[in-house]
Parts: sequence; structure tokens; C-alpha cells
Amino acid sequence: MKHYEPGARASDDHLPRLDCYLLARGSAGWEQQLQLLRVPGYRCLCTWPWPRIREPRDIGIETLAPLVLPAQVEILDAKTREKLCFLDKVEPHATIAEIKNLFTKTHPQWYPARQSLRLDPKGKSLKDEDVLQKLPVGTTATLYFRDLGAQISWVTVFLTEYAGPLFIYLLFYFRVPFIYGHKYDFTSSRHTVVHLACICHSFHYIKRLLETLFVHRFSHGTMPLRNIFKNCTYYWGFAAWMAYYINHPLYTPPTYGAQQVKLALAIFVICQLGNFSIHMALRDLRPAGSKTRKIPYPTKNPFTWLFLLVSCPNYTYEVGSWIGFAIMTQCLPVALFSLVGFTQMTIWAKGKHRSYLKEFRDYPPLRMPIIPFLL
Amino acid sequence: MAAVAATAAAKGNGGGGGRAGAGDASGTRKKKGPGPLATAYLVIYNVVMTAGWLVIAVGLVRAYLAKGSYHSLYYSIEKPLKFFQTGALLEILHCAIGIVPSSVVLTSFQVMSRVFLIWAVTHSVKESEDSVLLFVIAWTITEIIRYSFYTFSLLNHLPYLIKWARYTLFIVLYPMGVSGELLTIYAALPFVRQAGLYSISLPNKYNFSFDYYAFLILIMISYIPIFPQLYFHMIHQRRKILSHTEEHKKFE
Repeated sequence: MKHYEPGARASDDHLPRLDCYLLARGSAGWEQQLQLLRVPGYRCLCTWPWPRIREPRDIGIETLAPLVLPAQVEILDAKTREKLCFLDKVEPHATIAEIKNLFTKTHPQWYPARQSLRLDPKGKSLKDEDVLQKLPVGTTATLYFRDLGAQISWVTVFLTEYAGPLFIYLLFYFRVPFIYGHKYDFTSSRHTVVHLACICHSFHYIKRLLETLFVHRFSHGTMPLRNIFKNCTYYWGFAAWMAYYINHPLYTPPTYGAQQVKLALAIFVICQLGNFSIHMALRDLRPAGSKTRKIPYPTKNPFTWLFLLVSCPNYTYEVGSWIGFAIMTQCLPVALFSLVGFTQMTIWAKGKHRSYLKEFRDYPPLRMPIIPFLL
Repeated sequence: MAAVAATAAAKGNGGGGGRAGAGDASGTRKKKGPGPLATAYLVIYNVVMTAGWLVIAVGLVRAYLAKGSYHSLYYSIEKPLKFFQTGALLEILHCAIGIVPSSVVLTSFQVMSRVFLIWAVTHSVKESEDSVLLFVIAWTITEIIRYSFYTFSLLNHLPYLIKWARYTLFIVLYPMGVSGELLTIYAALPFVRQAGLYSISLPNKYNFSFDYYAFLILIMISYIPIFPQLYFHMIHQRRKILSHTEEHKKFE
């Protein structure tokens, strides 16, 4: 019996086919070894001190492949239980993503992004990375399909919902006709704070657009189409409402004058920098093209030190920015917008915090979702 | 809108949905009912509300018989109406703490629209009180049936008549209630404009303005998309529930 070099392939036909260094196929303990090798990360002692084995191929046991039967997948509609598709000869190590692609071939109107496949009609969706073999199914896997509806990419939604407020605010700032009385068309406000507010608001949305294009790494590619209408109504509506008052000819500048504006501007700038720092830190946490999730930690950048106290400091800084803007303009609609935004972001932060706690046992206990020590 | 909102059987909202009826779908699939203490409280709540609306109904009838005309009947039942309709705010709490399997948002919307009409329109604008009778009658009949429906459901002894009434009378009562509400708001409009009621105008320190007149008009317009949706939803529910019961009866 000659030995295999680790990594050698079964194409070395002149060598006897061995399944591992020490155990030949059919020998005592071989079945057991086979089972063990399917366990992710299992280290075959035969190849110690070689690196941890991930795939049986790592130690050249291609002979395992014929033993594993190709799987069959049937896809049923989750609501009607109607049989939609039957796939046979599916590779057992195929991922859900590959199965979705196969399903699209028979039903082209359901592109993979709108498919939700699950083991139980009322259960959770399976992830694209899940491998068929590792799921608790028999030789014929039964998957239930739900149509998630028309999907639109996150990037598209973000760009649309952020470009709107940028443009709309400027319409009000330049006092385009038919908004205020005719005698005010294309006039300019005499208050410095109004010009400052325009700069801040525009900067905020330009920053968001640039981050969408160059910074953010999305874990989901798409969201349901109806979200774009909902989101755009919210952002565009509030932008118009705020802009109307701030750029109104009868606008009243803040009660405490330049002092108030300066303080508010400082808060705004600090929070914008903070928000950007967090976005960069989160980006660096995740390599390009991957969907890994890790606990975020403070970096050398002082703005990221908020991670010590809060799970989602990006939301904290965002609320801070809007509070700054509200103080700067002393405008009630801005305060209301901040409040609504805060409510929504708190819900998101709590959800994120909960999933961090669920996923990571060693999650820092001092952290709160959005407000240090409080919320 | 406010009229059918409460009649919106399918939502199973309000006082008590101790046992979500066959048609109380929309995802309110109950796994376990409220505990015995909660059930007892809900029964008491629903009984009190039924009684309250009966008082209003009786008050209306007696006032009519005494006066012989429809005018100013509202004043005879103004206080109990305000009390019991405002009391319905508790139903939002019931949903929030989970003893009633309904959506908090939906219930809030429904109750708040009623409370809005009572306080922000009828109470605030005395002159709007003529068309009030139309929706008060619709609400009274609807609420008596609805609260008794919940009471009986909680006690697991729902007479078919109540179920039938709840899912049938809305066909007439809903449009009646909506008409009354719209007419009342419409009647209030000139007075709101005149008095500048609940309105703020620029310039002011907080750079905010609110025109209650425009707001009321928006509310009236919102009836246009919402009314048909709720109405046809109720009709759909009716078909589902009353035919379901018929089938059950066949097998008995």
C-alpha cells in the first residue's frame, strides 16, 4: 500500500485508491471515518499535523463522491402546497442559491431575489449559503416556496430616497415659483442661518449618497418594491415640509441668535463625522463581497469609541445630527422629523442589538442599543 | 370610517376577542386566549360598554318621545356619549398588553378617529351638531351589537343572532355613519375658518404652521380611499363567516 500525499487527487490512477493515510476503504473503522469527515472542521488524525480538513478532498479521498447519492428536490408552494418544480440529480453540496437558480429556469418570472425557500411552510427562510446536504432532509428534499414580490435593489432605493430630499430642499431654498407668494420668487433669505441650514442639509444628503455608492456593504441585495414608495414618501415628504418653513420669507431665526447656531452647528458637524466614522468602521469589519458578521469594536478613531457604550452608534450620531439641525433652525417640523427618525432607529437598533446578543456569546454586556446606559 | 372601523369585525379588535371568531383572520390566529383574570376583566369591560351604549340608545328614544322632534337630541345624550366613546381608548391598551389579539396600530386608528370626531369636531364646533344624529344612531346600534358580540364570545356562548347582526347590519349602518361624519365635518368647516380654530400661522418662534381647516378637508378626502376598502373587507368577512357557520350547522 502506497500512501497518498495530502492533497493528491484520485487521478493518480497508478496509485491504489486509499481513503486516508491509514484506513483503506472497507477496512474496520472506515465507515466511522467517513461519517466523521462530514463534520465541518473535523481533523482527521491520520493527517496530523496537517491543517484542519474542511473537505474530504483535502486528503485526496475523491472516492467519497460516488458514494454520496445525488439529491432530489421538490419545491411546493407554501400556501397551496401545489407542486411547482421537481429537480432531480441535484448535487448534495449544492447551495440554496444554486437551487434558486435552477428553480428560476422553470419559472422565469420568479427570479432568485424574490424566492423564499424554507423547510417548513411557516418557518424561516433558508439562507443562500446553506448547503442542501447539511439540512435535515431525506434523499428527496421538500422545500416550500413563497414569492416575496417584486424586488428592488437596496442601492437603487437608497439613491432615490436620498436624492429626493437633496433636490427638493434646494427648490425651496431658491424659492422656486408657486411655493411662496409671487413677490418672493427666486429671492434669497437675509438670515445667515437659513444659508447655513441649506449647506448642512445638502451636505448630509450628499454624504449619504456617497456612502451608498462607496462605503456601505449590504448583506441583502434587494428589498420588496413597495418599500421604495413608502420610503420615498417619508423622506421626500418630510424634506419638503421642513424646507418650506426654514426657507419661508416669514422665517424667525433662533431665539438665542448666533450662540445657538454655533452650538448647534458644532453638534451637527461632530455627529456627521461620528456617523461617517462608524460607517467606515463597519465597512472595514466586512471584506468585499462577503456577508460575514462580526462584533464591531472601537478603533483608533475617537468617534468609534462610542462602540464601547452602544451597539449602533451610527444611529446615535444620526439622531444627534438631526437634533443639532433642529436647534440650529429652531423649527418644530425638524424636531418632529428627528423624533420620528429616532423612534424608527431605536426599533432598528434594538433589533440589531438582539441579533448581536443571539449570535455572539461574548457580546460586551455594557452596551445598550442606541443611547448609552438608557435605551 | 369611524362607524365601520368599529364594525370591522375581521380585525377582532376592541373590547374583547376572547375567542377570535372564525372570520377574525387577517393573521390573528390565536394560540391561547387571555388568562382567566384577563377574561373576567374583558367581560366586565364589554358588559359595561354594552350597558353604556344602551343608555345612550334609550336616552335618544326617550328624548325623541318627549320632544317630538329630532332637533337637539344630541344634547340629551352628550355626556354618556362622550364618556363611553372616550372609554373605548382602553381598547388600545388591551391590544398593547396583549389580552386582545388585535393590532395596536389598527385599533388606535379606529378608536382615535371616533374620539377625534367627538371631541375635535362635535365638541369644539357647537354649530356642527345638527348632522350628528345620523352617526350617533349608527354608532349606538353598532356598538351595542359589537360589545355584546365580544361579551358572548368571551363566554363562549355566541347566539347566532348577534353574529348575524354584527356582520349584516353594517351594510346599512356603515354608509349611514360615514354620511353623518362627513356632513358634521362639512358643517363645522365655515366656523373653523372664521374662528381660526386650532390653527397657528407664521411668523412664530417655532417656525411652524397648522391650518385646521385644511386638515379637516384632508380628513374628508381620506374617506374616499379608506371607506370602500373597509366596506368591501367587511362584506368579504361576512361571506366567509356566515357561510362558515351555515356549513357547521349542516353537519350538526
